[in-house]
Parts: sequence; structure tokens; C-alpha cells
Amino acid sequence: MKIFLLILFLFVFPSILSAQSGYIEVTAPVNRQLKLAVDSPRPLGASTGSESSTQVADVITFDMNMSGAVAAESRSLQTAAKGMSLADADFVPWQTAGFDMLVRSEYSLNGNQLTIEFHLFDVINRKLITAKRYLGKAKDLRRFSHSFADEILLAMTGERGAFATRIAYVSAQTGNKEIYVMDWDGHNPLPLTKNRSINMNPDFSPDGREIIFTSYKRGNPDLYRRALSSTAEIAVSARKWLNITGNWSPDGSRIALALSKDGDAEIYTLARDGSHPRRLTVNPALDLYPAWSPDGKQIAFVSDRLGKPQIFIMNADGGAVRRLTTSGSYNVNPRWSPKGDKIAYSRMTAGGFNIFTIATDGTSDNQLTSVGNNENPSWSEDGRFICFSSKRSGSSGIYVMRADGSGQTKVSKGNRVYFQPSWSAR
Amino acid sequence: MRKNTVMLLSVISMAALLAGGCANKEAVKKEEAVVPVVSAPKAEEAKPVEQAKTAEPVKEVQPAQSEVVSASTAQTPVQAPAESMFETIYFDFDKSDLRQDARDVLSKNAEAILKSMPGAKIQIAGHCDERGSAEYNLALGERRAKSAQKYLITLGVKAEDLSVISYGKEKPAVLGDDEAAWAKNRRDEFVVVK
Repeated sequence: MKIFLLILFLFVFPSILSAQSGYIEVTAPVNRQLKLAVDSPRPLGASTGSESSTQVADVITFDMNMSGAVAAESRSLQTAAKGMSLADADFVPWQTAGFDMLVRSEYSLNGNQLTIEFHLFDVINRKLITAKRYLGKAKDLRRFSHSFADEILLAMTGERGAFATRIAYVSAQTGNKEIYVMDWDGHNPLPLTKNRSINMNPDFSPDGREIIFTSYKRGNPDLYRRALSSTAEIAVSARKWLNITGNWSPDGSRIALALSKDGDAEIYTLARDGSHPRRLTVNPALDLYPAWSPDGKQIAFVSDRLGKPQIFIMNADGGAVRRLTTSGSYNVNPRWSPKGDKIAYSRMTAGGFNIFTIATDGTSDNQLTSVGNNENPSWSEDGRFICFSSKRSGSSGIYVMRADGSGQTKVSKGNRVYFQPSWSAR
Repeated sequence: MRKNTVMLLSVISMAALLAGGCANKEAVKKEEAVVPVVSAPKAEEAKPVEQAKTAEPVKEVQPAQSEVVSASTAQTPVQAPAESMFETIYFDFDKSDLRQDARDVLSKNAEAILKSMPGAKIQIAGHCDERGSAEYNLALGERRAKSAQKYLITLGVKAEDLSVISYGKEKPAVLGDDEAAWAKNRRDEFVVVK
């Protein structure tokens, strides 16, 4: 009975739980995972493009299965239902097939004009849970489908998903390290930089419209800013020597980075135009790779002040420095979780790099990957996923996993080596 | 009984979901964010703080380390051999202090600069092997270049004739994922610049 009440509580008050650290896995009562059917979208009128319908179902099925919150399946059943409203009888075949929820959609594609409407049904109660209608261009089809997957997660967990997002990354596929962006699931890769120099460490602005990155395009490793909608690359910091590992503050007003103009790499913050430098570390060691906490009050960073690179945390004004990682002899690439409770990082051991997460008080130091080289973790904004670059036997690219390390999936296409992924905000 | 409980819970859970959200229609218009081009680059320099960081060459010669093994191979194309009349110096893993062989080479390089080309501008480029993180290696490569810079200055080369850049592990001299390749990539190169 106690368990019964607990489970009841979990379902009735999902939003309370999701406000806490981490996230909840919504599972069916007892031990069965909820099952979601994604029906094939129905084209309306003289709509064209039958591949559209498979894309919609594929996107939602992939997103929801990656979430771990439901077991999703693309499935079509012969039902009498016409249009988007279902009569009681229309639910019966879905219920018989073992589904708890059902996504139905219909779209019209006239030339380039796309209209798509999604409905999420509760099969057991035979009711509509949520519905959305999107108007746009044909190329928005995947984005709209991701966006509705976000709505499904919102309905299930009380927290919107982060599927309508992108990942910026570095690839050397042209022979030079250039910066690209792709949808979070690896679709629609798009080159950004084309300067044939060395470009590194892209980081999305909090509004998702700009990236900062380091480039050698003018000889020195300088920090640049660029809007995704523009080709203009604006130098943010071109100070003497290193201008590297930029990380945007959560409110977008400042950029933390490592500058070596004082002789060795030190952490600074700058205004978004590069002015008003504030030096945070004063230490003959190397200090780099700053990572803001989501409340903007603290910064994690890498320092070898004790001999080997380890992760430290300081206040955003440089005060109250404390060591975070105490295991391992080479810990780098910190990124603060959006909930603020954990820091993901990568550790080099004899077997290569692996991704870990550690609580901000230094406890719960958990290894999430174990095969090959896994570097540069970056969180999805809902804290549900971590993306990272991986080079493992037979396969390399950008991978995504849940924050507990489960569901490790390669999302980049092909088998090229990619580096330094950075996940955009919603 | 068990089955009934499952059903009841499913029903309750769905009811809870429904309590929160009812069907609402939303029209989402496609709109591309147009971010205006913002101000010109600022190159202002805050007052440089002189670091008293030690540049003294350390006597001990570090044994070659091979405890860290990486399965990865370098992705960046091998750099074309630099046109340089100066010898390259090499470092131990994760070290920036100058080995005895490096100091011998630096003495020769200093002599060449002072005798053959006084006033020439020399760039010292610090490099790392493929192990370690790309970002940390940028800082480590710079430390290596500055070690050589400081030593050359102690040998009489003018500070204003020497500049420093780090390429981290971005420009390996040779490809390969064994100690032989790594040892050739942990280096400082010396190039005459205009």
C-alpha cells in the first residue's frame, strides 16, 4: 500500500519532483514502462512528400525513446477514425495493442507551406492530453516534430524537453578544423566557419542565436563571436597569447575564458563585446576551461596548481576557491549541469578519456562511459542528456547519453571524428 | 488483483496528466532570429601583470613517460616542415621544463641568432603530443614555448626579437600513436618571421 501511495504521488505531483535536482523517470506502475504509439501522419488535401510522414514518426519515436520516459514505437493500425478527434471505439485497437498513449498528426504541404497538427491521446482514459498546431516551411518539419516531443515530455514529467535544440561541434572533414552545427539528433549538419584555419571550442549563447569560439584565422588563438544567421565573425578578445575556452554566462552578459596575456593561462570574465576584463585567478599554474554555474554565482575550471590538471570551483568574483575532483590524476572539461547539482567532466586514465559526473560538493563521483576516448561533455538544457565526443572501437562521432550514462547513442552521421560538442539552449 | 492495480494506477496517472493540461492550439510562426552585427572588436589591453613564474631550467632530466596510452590517432594534417635554420627542442610528457639536450640545442640556436642574424624576429611555437585534452595542451604548449623564450633571453637574445605561440596538439610533426611519434610532437619549433 505504501508503494501504491508513493507511485500515486509520483504521478499526481510530477512537477514538484522535477523541480528538484536531476529528473524523474516516469515509468508505469509496478515495473512496466509506459508505451507510446506514434501513428503515421495523415496528409491532407493535395499534400506532397510521403517521406514527410515517416520523418515525423521517426523524430518523435527517436526523441521519446532517448528520453527514457516511455517506450515509443512507430505504429499504424487500421481504425475507423477519420480526422483528429477519436471516438471511444477508436482507442480500442491501440489499447488492445498494449499502448498507454498515442500521438496522431495530420499535415498539409502546399508547395513550401507546411501546416502540421499533433494530438497526444491518453489511450486508457480515451482523452486528449495535449495538442499543438504549427505553421511554417517544409524544412521545419523535423523541428516541429521535435517541438511536439518536448510537449509530450512536458505532459508526462511536468518539464518540457529540449529536443528542438542544436549541437555545435568541430570537424576536420575538410582537412581543417571548422565549426558546424547540427540538430541534436545529428540531422541537418551545417558548416559555420570556412576560414581554413584552426577553429575550436564553440559555445552557444544562452539565447541559442550566437556562438563564441577560438580561431587561429588571424594567426593568434583569438576568441570570436558569430550569430548563426550571419557570416560575420567578430573578434571578442584578441589579446596577446591565448584567448581560449570561452563560456557564456547564463544571462548572456559576460563571457568567461582563459587569457595568457599575464604570462600563463588565467581565468577572466569579459563583457560580451570583450571589454571590461576582470581577472579571477592569480596563480602561476595553468587555469582554463571555465564553466559557469546556472545561477551565475560560481565558476568551475581546470587548474594544474597542484601539479596535474584538476577541477576547482570558485565564486564568480574569483573568491572561495576549492578543489572539486580528488580522484584521478587528469581531470578536465568541466560543464555545470543546468540544475546546478552536478558537474560533468572528462578524466584521462591509462585507457583513455571517460566522462564522469560529480556532485558540486565532491560526492557521487560517477563514471558514465567506459569504452574508448570520451571528451568534452555538454548538457542539454533540461539536464536530461549529456553530449560528448567519442572515439570508440569501430565508431566515432558525437554521442548523446542520459545524465546517468544510460542510452549512449551516436547521433552524428557517418564515421568521422568530431570534437568539442556544445549543446544549445532551447 | 495485480492487474487491476496496474490499470487503476494507469487511470489515475492519466487523470493527473490531464488535470494539468487541456488541449490548446498554438500557432507557431517561423521566425529567424536576426541578430544585429554588434560593435567592432576591442583590442584594449588591461595592464599586464608581470608573472614571477619561474623560468629557471630544471636540472633533472625527466625519464620518458609512457604510462598514458591513447587509442586515438591525430586528425590534424601534419604540418609542412617549417623552413627553419634552427633546431627543434623536445620535452617530456606533460612537462615544460628544459631537458639538458634541449638546453644544448637552445645554446646553439642562441649562438646562431646572435652571430648570423642579429635583429631577426624569431617565433617560438610550442606543441604537444596527441594525449591530453586539446585545451590543456594549448596552455601547456605555450608554457613550453615560454620556457625556451626565457632561456634564450638568459643567453643574450633580445626579448623583443622573440615571440611565442602555442598550437597545442593541433599541428603534430608526425602522425602516430606510440611513444616514438609522441616524443617527436612534444616540441618547440623556431621560425624566422617578418
